[in-house]
Amino acid sequence: MSVPHEVVFFTGATGLVGGDVLRRMLAADPALRAVVLVRDAGRWEQVSTRLALPAGRVGAVVGDVTRPGLGLSADTRVPLAREITAVVHAAADVVFSRPLAVARAVNVAGVRHLLDVAAGWPRLRRFAHVSTAFVAGRRVGRILEGEERGDAGWVNAYEQSKHEAEWLVRASGRDWVIFRPSTIVCDSAAGGVTQYNAVHLGLRLLHDSLAPMLPAAATSAIDVVPRDYVAAAIAVLALRQDLAGRTLQLCAGSGALPVDELLDVTWRAWSRRPEWRRRGIPRPVLTDIATYHRFELAVEETGDSKLRQAVRALSYFAPQLALPKAFDTRAADAALGGPAPAVRTYWARMLEHLVSVGWCEAVKGVAA
Amino acid sequence: MTGRPGITAIAYALPACSRSVRELGAAGQLQTDPEVLENFGFGRVHIAVAESPYELAYRAAARLLEEQAVDAASIDLVIYSGPPGTLSLTPAAQPWNGAALSSTARFQYPGTLLQFELGLLNASVLGIDQLACSTLFGALRVARSLCVTEGIERVLCVHAEFFPAAAGREAVFNCTSDAACAVLVERVALRNCIAASVHVTKGYYWDGDALKNEIVASYFPTSKHVIERVIAAAGWNAADVDWIIPHNVSLRSWELLLSLLALPNTRLWTDNIARYGHSLAGDNFINLRDALDGGAVRPGQKLILFSYGYGAHWTALAVEA
Repeated sequence: MSVPHEVVFFTGATGLVGGDVLRRMLAADPALRAVVLVRDAGRWEQVSTRLALPAGRVGAVVGDVTRPGLGLSADTRVPLAREITAVVHAAADVVFSRPLAVARAVNVAGVRHLLDVAAGWPRLRRFAHVSTAFVAGRRVGRILEGEERGDAGWVNAYEQSKHEAEWLVRASGRDWVIFRPSTIVCDSAAGGVTQYNAVHLGLRLLHDSLAPMLPAAATSAIDVVPRDYVAAAIAVLALRQDLAGRTLQLCAGSGALPVDELLDVTWRAWSRRPEWRRRGIPRPVLTDIATYHRFELAVEETGDSKLRQAVRALSYFAPQLALPKAFDTRAADAALGGPAPAVRTYWARMLEHLVSVGWCEAVKGVAA
Repeated sequence: MTGRPGITAIAYALPACSRSVRELGAAGQLQTDPEVLENFGFGRVHIAVAESPYELAYRAAARLLEEQAVDAASIDLVIYSGPPGTLSLTPAAQPWNGAALSSTARFQYPGTLLQFELGLLNASVLGIDQLACSTLFGALRVARSLCVTEGIERVLCVHAEFFPAAAGREAVFNCTSDAACAVLVERVALRNCIAASVHVTKGYYWDGDALKNEIVASYFPTSKHVIERVIAAAGWNAADVDWIIPHNVSLRSWELLLSLLALPNTRLWTDNIARYGHSLAGDNFINLRDALDGGAVRPGQKLILFSYGYGAHWTALAVEA
């Protein structure tokens, strides 16, 4: 009896990693087909062209995870129910500054709607959910891959909503695997940045002398990962049967970079440009969270809009620096045969790329 | 005789007129809500009306000589700082005669007038400019250096800086006061010896109005750096510091800076922030005088004087009282 061909239902295929995961899975399994859920068919056309996806193996259905039934018509649902064997759910609202209700609408309700629809897919064998390592929220210390606790609270609504989404997946009764990537910053080879996020925004504030202090100990480590590592990992592991019921942290882990070293590397890289070096912009002071909150309060009171915006943007993620944690990656490393690239192996390349593309201007409109 | 240069006398002069922060707010001389500025520690400021900068400078210097019974002929050098030329001689409420710049009247300097009127017969005169609130630190830096390199015994540093009477009374969330301050630096001092000084200028921030946000942000890390450097240069540890003698900027910013330095707020001498406000370059030395007079600072204690000069200069002195 032959193994039936996989037909994978993708969400988030136009996002930071989803499309690359799809491309890699199609390349690895010539028999695999996919259906992508997209909100905008025109945008998907552009993405699929850019990814050079093989013709005839990927279909698109227009819908929205925020809507019950994914906003799919009955006519669309019937063939899906006949074919789909696996789900890779990568759609998410990754903006840290969203109000909780807005974050939940995509990150929690989106999972619920997808699980509801998938309940009518009799061939479904795997539900692969892309979460975040920062569901750990305000916890500190070693964060184990199997842990599900949310008792310490969260720094932002993104973290909380993704934590809640994980619970829905676990309680679904499906065969699931959960991936918890750390914050994705760039591609490992050339340091290219596909999509700006809070890290790039924070770097811009440091670069432009708008971030005088950070709430962190010198030894607190910055855990970020390259986009290609995360995409490759999910592509390889999403359908592996031996990972049923497992949570895998796709993090730098022991390759995370201490804040002090990260600032050293960053200032050294920027200082190679005379026009930046001559500004004499000081390195931010690392301080405790109480002092940092006093600074935030002072900026709010004195109310200069530019600095206030900068400090508010930092407030959605900078407090994570004051909550030192070390992500356990043993299960992911074992499944992949090795760890994520250490941050120090590509951080400087990313900085060079950012400067070369003038990211300070480009990132100004990006929400934290 | 061996020894270190130090500050052997301080005197200051304030204008007769003073206003509360709320009065300034009612008069439209503040940008920020007076209540916010009161929360930052400000209460009253002194405003020159009839006085000229020079007149206050003269009063401060004369008082210093008189109080300490200093022989005017023993002063080797006057370092004068404040508004330039004839502007120093114009009462604060009067418009400045800009036409003076077009004539030899521009060479009517307050430093030389002070030398003449106080009878400082053996003193040469230097002027210090462009350092804003760190000007007196710059003067002391030069004075200390000349004491060491040229063997000069006594340097009288005099500063008078203020805004026109009707001008705004707020600079970056600080209420500004008018004042003059005179500091006597001697080559060999038994008290208030200068153990170290550090001065940092960052020209990138020269246009304070255009880079106001960036300056506020850079203020804290650079201030911390400068204070830590001066403590190290003096051969001290942070825990050795008995008093921080501040420039009178907002208490909120000082509390933040002390927190970054891991120093308790109790080491900050704050008495004059509410009663005088920020008198630009005179603050630290006016405060040192009052802290000495009031007995808060005792002989042998280790002091850090720190100021920031808009435009942009960070400066600190380590002084053994």
